[in-house]
Amino acid sequence: MSLPKVVVKDVSVTFEGQGRPVMALDRISLEVGTGEFVCVVGPSGCGKSTLLRVVAGLVRQSAGDVHIAAARPGTPLTAMVFQEHALLPWRTVLDNVTFGLENRGVLRAPREARAKEMLALVGLTKFARHYPHQLSGGMKQRVGIARALANDPEVLLMDEPLAALDAQTRTIMQEEFLRIWADLGKTVLYVTHSIEEAILLGDRIALLTARPGRVKQIFPVNLGRPRGLEARASPDFGTLVEKIWAELRDEVVRASAEDAAPGDGV
Amino acid sequence: MRRPAARGWESAIAIGSPLLLLAAWEAASAVGLLRAQFFPRPTTIARHFGELLADGSLPRHAGTTLVRLAWAFLLAAVPGVAVGLAMGISRRVRDGLDPLFAVIYPIPSVLFLPLLSFVLKPADAALAVTGAITSFFLIAYTTMTGVQQIDRTVLEAATHFGARRGRLFIKVLLPGTLPFIFTGLRLGLGLALIVVIAVEMVSAQHGLGALLWLSWGLLKVEDMYAALAAIALLGGPLLWALALVRARLLPWLPDVADA
Repeated sequence: MSLPKVVVKDVSVTFEGQGRPVMALDRISLEVGTGEFVCVVGPSGCGKSTLLRVVAGLVRQSAGDVHIAAARPGTPLTAMVFQEHALLPWRTVLDNVTFGLENRGVLRAPREARAKEMLALVGLTKFARHYPHQLSGGMKQRVGIARALANDPEVLLMDEPLAALDAQTRTIMQEEFLRIWADLGKTVLYVTHSIEEAILLGDRIALLTARPGRVKQIFPVNLGRPRGLEARASPDFGTLVEKIWAELRDEVVRASAEDAAPGDGV
Repeated sequence: MRRPAARGWESAIAIGSPLLLLAAWEAASAVGLLRAQFFPRPTTIARHFGELLADGSLPRHAGTTLVRLAWAFLLAAVPGVAVGLAMGISRRVRDGLDPLFAVIYPIPSVLFLPLLSFVLKPADAALAVTGAITSFFLIAYTTMTGVQQIDRTVLEAATHFGARRGRLFIKVLLPGTLPFIFTGLRLGLGLALIVVIAVEMVSAQHGLGALLWLSWGLLKVEDMYAALAAIALLGGPLLWALALVRARLLPWLPDVADA
């Protein structure tokens, strides 16, 4: 692994639940190397999204440290792609993509030039003047990706960005995103509930336990790049899916057992 | 996308149905099915409307009502939007004002008139404030709801991409609330007109409400209907103008963009 870009060390997050505190993350540690693509999988409710929000600075950890190596001053450390795209409905596609730059005081001409570059990258040049409600789900998520990339962050954080899309659109978007990532060489922390997606995209996969989330195991993905359809069909791919699923299965069972009997375990 | 033919039918129905009703009324009054004493023919009413227009009394009354309505609407809209935004943003403001509003809001605002006309001189000031009260609550509550319904992830994303405090307010909270503000203003304008007319009926010597009430008292039924028509003609264009401003300011709303 190259130099670590993100170091998450012994981070715990406790939320104030109804009357009693709920521990979302329990002393979780994870490193992401510069230019590395790390996927995080785990049962639902295990704190995957919380982990991303801690790295993004949107949620404050109760204990532990997050460090992000800043190579270039003036650019933001993180930029997030949200699950429900979270675009501003009253802004055009172009103005959504410029939003972060605008808030950082970048002038109109350079910020729009940058946004147009990003829109070209995600194939939405023609839709710059459209409003979000005029776009399909896949197109909205492309805008979300362009908005995050326009900020040129040290780390790109992605919170199940393709979960709301239909299977065909998702496959196209995975291929597109791999192409973009190969172009830009960004460090990526990518949360997904799909093992296949994690293997297709990631250099390494961190498997989280049921709540409170900890890293149960890290799986390196030893498949060559670029990965397309043929990668999915390879025997190594299938073996890795089975290996990860064997571990994930226990956690899913544990998570649903806890949901059924609240008050235990937490 | 609707076909032009379908649109043509729609506007034909929109224009045709009131005309049909008026024609039926005309016929019923003409043959004596409706008592002309209470239901004069629409053409007779139109003639009286024309006379009142020509002698300048109808424009004068309408002008008086319009000025009162403008004040009432202004007094409701500006504080209403401001208080509604504050209640939507701050939990403390909301908790502080909610019980107070819950007690005052249901009181028919006309009941404030005696007290207000004692405290506020001239009489028109009391009238405008009375007209504003209920609209104020309506606009404040609608605006508050508008702030609260903004998508949490949109707020989170906006914060994440650097919009804080003043920026968050101007670029996210305000535009996100505008559709609800416009709904509140539209309902508030209608309500203010209703209350202003009602107050004019009970207390004023001028204005369309007074003209209507005084004409009824003198059994000048045709003039009463002329005043009624004038009130309807006053409200329609105002609401239409508001809808036009909304469409101009909110091009991103689905119903505006696809129309």
